[in-house]
Amino acid sequence: MAAQLRLTRRDLKAMALSLPGALFLLFFLFLPLVTIVIYSFWRSENYTMIADWNLDNYITLLTTRTYLTFIFRSLVMSLSVSFICLVYSWPVAYFIARYGGRYRLILVLLTAAPFFTGIILRVTAMQQILGPIGVLNMFLTNMGLAPLKLLMYTNYATALGLVYLWIPFMVLAIYLSLLTFDFKLLDAAMINGAGPLRAFIEVTWPLNWIGTCIGLALVFIPTFAATITPKFLGGVNGALYGNILAHQFGATGTWALGSAMGVVLFAISSLFVYIIFKTVNLNRAGYTGKLDGE
Amino acid sequence: MAAINSKDIVLRAIQVLLLVALYIFLYFPILFITYVSFVDNIIWPFPPEWTLKWYARLLSMSDFHVGLKNSVYIGLCTAVLSTLFATSAVIGLLKYRTRWRGPMILLYISPLFVPGLLIGISTLMFNANVLGMSGKLASAIVANTTEAIAFSFLVILAQLVRYDWRMDEAAMVFGARPAQVFREVTLPTIWPAILGAFLVSFILAFNNLEISFYNLGAIPTLPTIAWGTLRHGIKPELFALASVINLLVFSIIAGLFFLIQTGLVRFGYRGE
Amino acid sequence: MQTSAHALELVEVEKQFGPVRAVDNVSFSVEKGEFFALLGPSGSGKTTLLRIIAGLESAGKGSVHIGGRDVTRKPPYARGIGMVFQDFLLFPHKTVGENISFPLKMKKMPAARQKEQLDWVLELVRMKGFEDRFPNQLSGGQKQRVALARGLVARPDILLLDEPLANLDRELRKEMEVEMRRFQAEIDIPFVYVTHNQEEALTLSNRVAVMKDGRFEQVGDKLELYEAPATAFVASFLGLNNTIVGQVTAQEGGLSTIDWKGIRLPVPTPEGVGVGDSVQYYLRSEKMHIGPLEDTPEGADATRLAARLRDIIFKGQYSDYFVIVENGEEMVISDVPDIKGITIGDQVAVSWLPEDGFAFAAKGDR
Repeated sequence: MAAQLRLTRRDLKAMALSLPGALFLLFFLFLPLVTIVIYSFWRSENYTMIADWNLDNYITLLTTRTYLTFIFRSLVMSLSVSFICLVYSWPVAYFIARYGGRYRLILVLLTAAPFFTGIILRVTAMQQILGPIGVLNMFLTNMGLAPLKLLMYTNYATALGLVYLWIPFMVLAIYLSLLTFDFKLLDAAMINGAGPLRAFIEVTWPLNWIGTCIGLALVFIPTFAATITPKFLGGVNGALYGNILAHQFGATGTWALGSAMGVVLFAISSLFVYIIFKTVNLNRAGYTGKLDGE
Repeated sequence: MAAINSKDIVLRAIQVLLLVALYIFLYFPILFITYVSFVDNIIWPFPPEWTLKWYARLLSMSDFHVGLKNSVYIGLCTAVLSTLFATSAVIGLLKYRTRWRGPMILLYISPLFVPGLLIGISTLMFNANVLGMSGKLASAIVANTTEAIAFSFLVILAQLVRYDWRMDEAAMVFGARPAQVFREVTLPTIWPAILGAFLVSFILAFNNLEISFYNLGAIPTLPTIAWGTLRHGIKPELFALASVINLLVFSIIAGLFFLIQTGLVRFGYRGE
Repeated sequence: MQTSAHALELVEVEKQFGPVRAVDNVSFSVEKGEFFALLGPSGSGKTTLLRIIAGLESAGKGSVHIGGRDVTRKPPYARGIGMVFQDFLLFPHKTVGENISFPLKMKKMPAARQKEQLDWVLELVRMKGFEDRFPNQLSGGQKQRVALARGLVARPDILLLDEPLANLDRELRKEMEVEMRRFQAEIDIPFVYVTHNQEEALTLSNRVAVMKDGRFEQVGDKLELYEAPATAFVASFLGLNNTIVGQVTAQEGGLSTIDWKGIRLPVPTPEGVGVGDSVQYYLRSEKMHIGPLEDTPEGADATRLAARLRDIIFKGQYSDYFVIVENGEEMVISDVPDIKGITIGDQVAVSWLPEDGFAFAAKGDR
């Protein structure tokens, strides 16, 4: 047992190189997260925290109808957006990975590139398309048609905006998974009598399920925490959970309640990730546990 | 190769259509506002009345220059920090196989699973109440770095997984000291991954709103200026700003792509 | 310590990986001009041993001497060795010339001298004119030559080769075997060669060490190993063998009679084996003969069994004959390819001389 705990020289070298970043993350990412967990049990008055341990924030959050409605609304929104991204991204990523050939890289870079423009400017662009004086409605009006009310400051507009923001992640996650997938396995399945659909269900889907899960998590999490998109595309009644969370840190200064909301946000995100990754069976996912093919 | 029948062709055609539709969905808004940024009649810009006044107005915005400077500063510092941390970590974890590799990799990519809003508010709380340093560029840089580390780590990991570390052993056997091994063998093969990570982190931190916003208070960056402007209705200056930033992002990506295509840079080159 | 005479000497080297003893108390020496093969199945510790010599692994115990210097605690770059790796490990971003000159550059040799050495080694491996190519523009055999050139260019005290031919196809392997013998003869550098391929080891080397579970089973001249294996493992590992396990029923003179599932066979008596003990008997296929049933045996001492011919596999200069003997066991015999009067399905006679096989006391009692 003692030998198991002893550090090898290799362990020490690995640690010397990887610990600085790890400590940085622990100190500047995880410690702050722990801080808001602590603050969520405190009380705040006028932008100051008072160490008065209580559960009031959680009681308020979980018994006030408005807050529960916002949680529910955001949940529906993120599940729908993740689902839309999933369904749309699969055929696209599949096509690029399988038939992209030498253009594979450029095709996938093109789907990923808009991500780098930043949320705010992409939402600006989307608003210019969908808004009341956006080009879509101006076009309809000029044609003598009724403007599309459905996409004017509604939850649908928010959903479309969120798909617009995060679909690159889903395409990328599935594409990267398919990149390591051996398409010859499909030939093997078909030679053994499986039709294309059957081969997809039996071979392609399960072997790329981890990649798909990563994609789902990468879309669900920022969507659940969305603030900018609902604010600028959802309109007055389109606020989501992220907006009321942000509100606690802006206008009202109710930091303790805001911290509790942050904890709930984190809990729900983690629960989602936990549930989808529960479905992963590493053996059936074709995971070899090896990074360097040794 | 499986035989191509009509059903396959239909399926493939549908996939192509979906891909093209995705590109239109992703690029139409961006291209459209770029177009609008050059016209005077922004509401219904057909036919266009060309103008450059939105760009002039962007340049004359009071805090534009400060914001640009701050954004570049945050972007550069974040990129340097996250690339250093990530490069060293990936090399450590891949070169020296350790039993903590799995947990370490999880730790490094975990920021991907923490939404920006949460990073923003938690670092605000932590910096303001625990460290007593709120509203400083440094706190925004630190917070952005946590997220950028994850992206840098992934970019570098994806390339270095394919690097054959026995190459380093070979160099060592032939008389290269550790520093020489790194300079002569490791670095020449992995620098594209490091450059990629640097650029990705720079762009992310440069454009970040949610993380920086909570950490900066009244200090402007380009995204916070954009946010402030957007709150007061559509401002065509923003279209000009978006166009400039898109041009920057796409020239970086195109530059990288050019390097790959011309073989000047071989990403993940394995030596086979 | 009188170590200066040896090009390479290992003294009681040990290496532990967790609970596994990868190298277990190994001592041996290699002389100048020698071609020494470390032969063993995968996991036998031969590669670990080579890496210890190179300094890529540290020896847990014992010492390593190269050219008379104790290098046990020296890092790889201070040992003055050359090495050829299994996948060549040429630097992909350097040209052939830069790859080969790498060890010289590390020594900070003046450019003119570097050029001289480079020309010499390119001549030796017959790769003149390839200096400016990149490794990915070379064929497997060319990469192999470059890897060898890089290993030899600095005229190291010793050249280590880690399964260098494993990734080449059969034809190329034959060609490189001949070439490597030539390089080794032309320059006076000792080669230490790791392989799991007995044919390679026997073709190339002067001396062979057979390794198993981190230990040396036998070290010696290759013919000695082949003709007089010291252990059951060495006997089974070299050559194509029929393995016969039986119990001794009687002993007379130097011979024991064993009961092999109902067939009684005379075998040489292994040391310390008495009636009732278990014996493993290894019979090389090429020492056996096959013929029609009615043929007369070649000698009175020969053992002769009736069998049914199941299959013939033509190998060129010889054929492998697979037969089923009367107790239902299969045997393989390598004999001339064209034997008159026997075809698949026939009853045949199989014969050999008892002393042509190697008998050992079976491990453990059963």
